Amino acid sequence: MEPVVTLKDILVNQGETFSLSIESLELQPNRVYALTGPNGAGKSTLLRTMALLTLPQKGTVTVAGSGAGSLAQQRQKVTLVEQSPYLLEGTVYDNLAFGLRLRGIRGKEQRERIKTTLDMVGIGGFERRKTRNLSGGEMQRVALARALVLEPEVLLLDEPTANIDSTSLQAFEALLGSLPDYGITVVFSTHDPSQPKRLGDYVLRLENGRLLDKTCRAS
Amino acid sequence: MDYLTDSFIAAVGLILSLDREILSTIWTSLYTSCCAIVFAALLGIPTGLWLGINNFRGRRLIITLLNTLMALPTVVVGLLLFGLFSRQGPAGSLGLLFTPWAMIAGQTVLATPIVANYVLSAVSGSDQRILDTLLTLGATRFQASVQLVKEIRFGVMAAVIAGFGRVIAEVGVAMMLGGNIRGATRTMTTAIALETSKGEFAFGLSLGIVLLGVALLVNLFLNMLQQRVN
Repeated sequence: MEPVVTLKDILVNQGETFSLSIESLELQPNRVYALTGPNGAGKSTLLRTMALLTLPQKGTVTVAGSGAGSLAQQRQKVTLVEQSPYLLEGTVYDNLAFGLRLRGIRGKEQRERIKTTLDMVGIGGFERRKTRNLSGGEMQRVALARALVLEPEVLLLDEPTANIDSTSLQAFEALLGSLPDYGITVVFSTHDPSQPKRLGDYVLRLENGRLLDKTCRAS
Repeated sequence: MDYLTDSFIAAVGLILSLDREILSTIWTSLYTSCCAIVFAALLGIPTGLWLGINNFRGRRLIITLLNTLMALPTVVVGLLLFGLFSRQGPAGSLGLLFTPWAMIAGQTVLATPIVANYVLSAVSGSDQRILDTLLTLGATRFQASVQLVKEIRFGVMAAVIAGFGRVIAEVGVAMMLGGNIRGATRTMTTAIALETSKGEFAFGLSLGIVLLGVALLVNLFLNMLQQRVN
């Protein structure tokens, strides 16, 4: 099967102290990848590189097999949800509608997709809520919904459970685990040592900007 | 003291009587300043955004240049554009000298660096996650810039108001490029300078009061916006 994300000979220098160096990494479609490693290992940088937000000084990142098309077109296939996401001014609906409008999805289809996605992440009926009045956990869910509503081929999540309380964690993990059924490849970073075992089809371990190993959960 | 009091009372009387000449002067001031600020916004907002978003060689130099242009003396702008628009000048055939359009051009030159600088500050002070969020949602650089303006709209509005404050109160450009022609290019500031020199202190004072009122309103609005930005 053709990989959905391919990184080849990647070098990302950030200042004089840190560099991310990945010789080769291929992500298979419809899988969940858990990205682990200590603080400063380069997890966020790797996610940003896959999201085409940080462009490497060397090497290539190919998303969904197409190197062609503008950067914006390639970015439309992969969406990153940051650990502390920024929500646009306005309502929850405005946030979810933004990316859909860019893809030409309007009217009834837009409304239906937004409603379905908000229900999916457990905040159904939040459409008209002002983003500035949301709690940290709710903001995280809105950011996740905003990414999911776009139906990306690859969803990148930077420590998605950091702001989620323990009661909602189970539902969130169930949702995460179900995303490959919708044709979405998920890469999430985590500090929780048990999470990769529960969720990840593969575990990617980073240290000092180097990929130490990639293990399959089944093995 | 009586002179000042009497002049003030006469000035208020002139304003309340809606004197035609005063109204015409106020209209010319507001018309030219509003047109200039629209052009300055069209030039300054993209410039500020471009400098705020992108990092490239020579960026610091352009920012330094913009800072210098903010302090540009109005008479120098007037002088340079006078040379441009005068009959012998490269744009002399357009016949713009001593028309409101020459004043608008000069005031646009004055206000653009101010708008650009304020927008640059608004972008630099904005949440650094905004742009990445917009890009990861699939926006092009242009679409992200448009949305960024919406996100920092209070800062952008403050930029426009600051530029307006600069042009409504300037004398040099209006005098040199407009020529202070009664009923055509006479603005509040040029009228104040002229009428006071003619001994019409009350007339000058009446325009001064209106100008102060406009400046006060502009600054109140600016303060309100800055509070919202912060």
